Amino acid sequence: MSDKNNLDYDVMVVGAGTAGMEASLSLGDMGYKVLLVEKQPSIGGRTILLSKVFPTLDCASCISTPKMASSAHHPNITLMTYSEVDGITKNADGSFHVNLHKKPTYVDQVTCTGCGQCATACTVPLPDEYNYNMIARRAAHIPFPQAVPKKAVISRGGQAPCMHTCPAGVKPSGFVSLVRAGKYEEGFKLHLADAPLVGSLSRACYAPCEGECTRDEMEGSVNIRAIKRFMVDWYYERHPEPDYGPVENQLDTKVAVIGSGPGGLTAAFHLAKQGHQVTVFEAEAHAGGMLRHGMPAYRMPNELLDRDIKNITALGVEIRTNTRVESIASLKEQGFDAVFTGVGNQNPRIIPITGNNLADVTDCMKFLKETNVGDELPDIEGKDFVVLGGGNVAFDVARAAVRMGTKSVSIVCLEAKDKMPAHGFEVREAEEEGVRLYTGVSSKRIFKGDSGKSILEVLNVASIEFDDKGRTTGFTTAEGTEQQIPADVVVMAVGLSPSTLPFENELELNGNKTIKTDDQTLQTSDPMVFAGGDAVLGPSIICEAMGQGRKAAFYIDRFLKKEPLDVPFDSDLEVADKKAIVACSGKCSCIKPTAIREHEPKKRIQSFEPYEETMTEDEARASANRCLGCGECSQCQECVNACPANCINFNMKTDRMEMTVGSVIVSTGYEILDPAGKELMGYGKYPNVISGPQMDRLLAPTRPYNGVLRPSDGKEPESIAIVLCNGSRDHTVCNPLCCRIGCMYSAKHAQLVMGALPLADVTIYYIDIRAFGKGYDEFYEQSKGMGVQYTKGKVARIEEIEGGNLRVHYEDMEGEGGIQTAEHDMVVLTVGFLPNLESLKLYKGGEVETDPFAYIREPDATAQPGRTNIAGLFAAGTVIGARDIPDTVLHACASSAQAAGYIEKLRKA
Amino acid sequence: MNTGKRRIGVFICHCGGNISDYVDVARVAEAVAEEPGVVVSKNHMFTCSDSAQQEMIDDIREQKLDGLVIASCSPKLHMFTFRGMAERGGINQYQYVHVNLREQCSWAHTNDKTGATEKGIALVRAGIAKAALSTPLTALRVDTTPKVLVIGAGISGLRAALALSDMGLSVFVVENQKEAGGAVKNWGRMGPDNQLGRDIVRKLLDEVNTRENIMLYTDAEMVEKSGYIGDFKVTLRIGGNETVNLQVGAMIVATGFDPYEPKEGEFGYGLDGVVTLPQFRDAADGQEGPLEYNGKPVKNVVFIYCVGSRQKKSAACPAPNAYCSRYCCNAGTHMALCLEDRPGDLNQYHLYRDIRTYGHNETIYEEARNRGAVFMKYADDDAPTVEKTADGLVVKVKDQLLGGEEVEIPADLVILVTGMVPRKNETLMNLLKLPVSKDGFLNEIHIKLRPVETVIDGVFIAGSAQSPKTMAESVGSALAAVSKAGGLLMKGYVDLEPLVAKVNTDKCQWCDACLKACPYGAIERTSCDGKEVALVIQSLCKGEGACVPVCPYGAIDVEGYTDEQITAMIDACSREVVSA
Repeated sequence: MSDKNNLDYDVMVVGAGTAGMEASLSLGDMGYKVLLVEKQPSIGGRTILLSKVFPTLDCASCISTPKMASSAHHPNITLMTYSEVDGITKNADGSFHVNLHKKPTYVDQVTCTGCGQCATACTVPLPDEYNYNMIARRAAHIPFPQAVPKKAVISRGGQAPCMHTCPAGVKPSGFVSLVRAGKYEEGFKLHLADAPLVGSLSRACYAPCEGECTRDEMEGSVNIRAIKRFMVDWYYERHPEPDYGPVENQLDTKVAVIGSGPGGLTAAFHLAKQGHQVTVFEAEAHAGGMLRHGMPAYRMPNELLDRDIKNITALGVEIRTNTRVESIASLKEQGFDAVFTGVGNQNPRIIPITGNNLADVTDCMKFLKETNVGDELPDIEGKDFVVLGGGNVAFDVARAAVRMGTKSVSIVCLEAKDKMPAHGFEVREAEEEGVRLYTGVSSKRIFKGDSGKSILEVLNVASIEFDDKGRTTGFTTAEGTEQQIPADVVVMAVGLSPSTLPFENELELNGNKTIKTDDQTLQTSDPMVFAGGDAVLGPSIICEAMGQGRKAAFYIDRFLKKEPLDVPFDSDLEVADKKAIVACSGKCSCIKPTAIREHEPKKRIQSFEPYEETMTEDEARASANRCLGCGECSQCQECVNACPANCINFNMKTDRMEMTVGSVIVSTGYEILDPAGKELMGYGKYPNVISGPQMDRLLAPTRPYNGVLRPSDGKEPESIAIVLCNGSRDHTVCNPLCCRIGCMYSAKHAQLVMGALPLADVTIYYIDIRAFGKGYDEFYEQSKGMGVQYTKGKVARIEEIEGGNLRVHYEDMEGEGGIQTAEHDMVVLTVGFLPNLESLKLYKGGEVETDPFAYIREPDATAQPGRTNIAGLFAAGTVIGARDIPDTVLHACASSAQAAGYIEKLRKA
Repeated sequence: MNTGKRRIGVFICHCGGNISDYVDVARVAEAVAEEPGVVVSKNHMFTCSDSAQQEMIDDIREQKLDGLVIASCSPKLHMFTFRGMAERGGINQYQYVHVNLREQCSWAHTNDKTGATEKGIALVRAGIAKAALSTPLTALRVDTTPKVLVIGAGISGLRAALALSDMGLSVFVVENQKEAGGAVKNWGRMGPDNQLGRDIVRKLLDEVNTRENIMLYTDAEMVEKSGYIGDFKVTLRIGGNETVNLQVGAMIVATGFDPYEPKEGEFGYGLDGVVTLPQFRDAADGQEGPLEYNGKPVKNVVFIYCVGSRQKKSAACPAPNAYCSRYCCNAGTHMALCLEDRPGDLNQYHLYRDIRTYGHNETIYEEARNRGAVFMKYADDDAPTVEKTADGLVVKVKDQLLGGEEVEIPADLVILVTGMVPRKNETLMNLLKLPVSKDGFLNEIHIKLRPVETVIDGVFIAGSAQSPKTMAESVGSALAAVSKAGGLLMKGYVDLEPLVAKVNTDKCQWCDACLKACPYGAIERTSCDGKEVALVIQSLCKGEGACVPVCPYGAIDVEGYTDEQITAMIDACSREVVSA
């Protein structure tokens, strides 16, 4: 029947609370096609969250659930939950154009059975808005037991900054929340699924995640790497071997991976998981690349790396060591269908120094390799040892040298101390270990001193230039600033260049000898060859190399399956807003990061033993507990594992749509005044001062504490004060209006409390009791008859006294007079209504008029209830001002009659 | 009793705790699990919730149920909910039996949990016995007439008529006064937005007169009514003699209110200078210049609130109006502003119990105070007195805000802020048989769930006939009634309950006992196979069952409540419950 004006729906109703449902049902019964849009995951509005309703004391569920079920099943009503209207404009023919979108629930709403297992498995607690934040709910959740639709929704507030920043694609928020939940094995496996070299990362990663951690804006970041280290150690201790083998669906496709560094191994892992036959070629005798050869054992123990590598080989990946690949062509000849090259960046740069034959001059890679995997350690005992360079590799060399009985170890670099490319902690720890720093100097020459000793002479740097990546591009020296440094051994750690030489003729290279690849897919000039890691990036950190390996594997897999490559790799979820998180974490207690126990510098330099200790279980969980849960859902994947219907889908996207409707009813409800603004009343400061809506939850059948208990100590209150008109009839919060419902719902609270706690005294402090509706005054009289003490008097302030009790200061107007005080166990602040300002933003075709209090105005409230200044756009329920349920229902029905009249006119026009 | 083949599902509701706090619902479910025919016996936190309904539908389908018993709240609340669910699950809705375990069990026996549980078991057993004998029934579908009779041509009735007309329905408006417009037609400046009452009415009437599909009858009343939802037949008498027969699908009763008339002596009523607010409003309408009463200038005016409202029972007031009249605080404070707008040095004293200027009306109260009106709170049990002295009227009041100190106010004028009372209209009430609530106003089915519907299907109520309301609220409820009438009539048909009497023509010997017993005129004599028997007109029968016990031949049964079912229920619930 909606065809004449090309309407998708006759009426769109925005907001599916009491008013919206009622209006929709009325219109649906009249035969109009209704689109009912609700931004929450469930319909029912605020009424469904109530305990019982005055004056009949029907339970709120009894009042709401039939309307909710009817709205969901009505043949003329289409329900769109978790959806928002972006804008409404009016068409020339009087109909409306609507833009709206359905938010991703990340749970397939068709197949979800509402079993709630995802919520049980979910490791992320969030404030439960449906219980007015008195308890926590899970990120994966069903709003409340009577929800319609009863389907799970996963709350996501963007990508956690830690996860967003991790180049390797690891989900720190996920494993941290799993560790917090004591699920270490799950945490390990979550990490493994993204990056297999878990142990290596737990020791050697420079942890960019910690730098981005929101908690770093407060007392210090979460010790993500240390938590990971606990998790890995816990897991490897119990699982010396991987507990899996090759995947079942093996494919015929063969992939060669050149280089067994972090990039190559990661690519091999992900390719093998897809079933491809993967062979890794490694020129050296041991797999691991820079992890093995570039990192001293105090940071990266060989045994740990060996165990990490088993994670890859368990999938059937073959690693051929001592096998140098000389050309891509040779691999093609061997029948490989695709190649990943991660040959790294291991060619040391040597700078010419006058007199370099006068000392034992070597390069950093040679030195480190000998140190890490050589049959014997380099013989530098008693020597004066100098490293040239200010990067992390220079420090690895220096700190390794310190551990080999050297007489002295010095670092000589061009950059000033605060401009050194090495990480700050490396510099600090090296100095602790006795490494001398000569910063801002340039090597001039090596000469033999008077005693025949080799000496490095340096000059101060007068000026230095850096490129945009912080790398030195040029410098000048100041003559006459010579210093002499004893130097038996000089190791050059002044940069590495890509090991891409063998492929120079087969693959297109960049000017700096890195391999040229497509930014998105990492595909090289040879379509079957993909590249990643330092060979593409230049010097990078290990997690970056791993990230490239993972990304290349994704596109190689698609390449081999002949699927298009122009698909995005990363999730498009935006990074969570740190400022907002910090702002709403104001109430978090200040907990400093757990200090990592490490050996004294003197003890450290005795050996190559790792000097950091692994956290204890308690420390790890306590540290994990500091996570602020920035992205809400932590991506721990427990819901995915738990869901029996397989309906979790993190790739779900916002679904935008446009439609034409004949009329619009805005029934977006009201906001509840936050009593924290009334500072003297103590809400938010004293735990036993709660709000009226919270009291309703304490009394509801689905109540959070299964009883009326006061929050501070769980005691059953014996004396409860209910204070009316907080933020209503109240110029201190700029709200002179009466909330219309406070008197009545307080009488209800009093009666229900007396039922739940027969021994409790209830006092209601009031200005006027406004029991004006049908049966209301009788209900008020019933409260008085039950023994509720009604005290006329304005409460001025509330203070906490011993034991969490509260002292109420009030003006006693009817009794003895004057300022009096009374003690209570618990205080309920009956709070006012505020307009929902969102409702004013819906219509973009002009301005929807409001009254002076920002409620939508009815220009002729008497004869035309529900009509706004925009013809065809109607308002229903509390959007035009506070009202109770019966008045809301009547008003919504009235609006529906108005909308019906409008549509009939539209059809005739 | 052949129950062996039945497959009955029993679902016991916790009702959040309303039931389960007093009735051991798990035990009830367990106790009835072995009843004949029962194949499913379960508990649900809220059987009415969508998820529980879905689970029950799954049970209906998986267990191939052919009978359903839900023990929950009153059927007034959820019988239709569960009937709908039964149909969605694929069972005939009349094979569903509603057991009232809340109003009739848990709430009634909050002091005896064991007893309540045993009674619960007995009630559910009876429900099962009934379900076991249930048969599928088909609703009677009748066409509806797309016309509405609106009774009362006040603002509610007129506005309803226009809205119905907007929706394409034909409307007849009947007004028993000579002039349409109701109470508001004579009123001047009104709260909250200072429109003139007569302007509002005039605009509505002008608009009504332009509509071809609205017929307005004044000086007319309904004298006969028959038929049923969707197809009523009514007769109007116009001007005392002429009659008109109409056929309508629905009726909206908007008969308004009467202002409370104080008794002689009540707050000095009857004394010169003591008037009600409506009287004063009429007298002051159109006046300008300083306030005068009977030609004398008024310096002190006293308003006394809650006159005729929130009354306590006493010897002087044996039938009190216990209710709050809702509009009067708003009207009184608005009048305060009207008086402040007039020139002169007037002192206003407003004696109140609670000022109930709810919602946005609070701004009027606040403005009245700011502009100088004095508000004094008197105690519920210590009302002000009005006396005539040599110097004139004196009002004495104990001001609660001054610690109960007695204040004497010499008054030139005392205005009694009176409430609304239900309108007397016996002819109409006898015809429509509409129930009234304790306060005497017309009663809705449920103030939140079905606020404008009545137990007489197809008859809706609107405006202050239902309870005291402001103009805007009256119009709102009138439009609400319109939306429900529209919902009924725009479909073109209505399904009637098939729970009606049926005559066993073999047994019937036509003695007319049933015809005499039926209050709905639903029995006719007819002939069947050459013999005279009773015939039930299904659309008129309400299934009340008055005909059943009077039949000397046992020839009548009511569908859904057959003798066999009732006997089985009695047997089932009188069986002893073995204590746990």
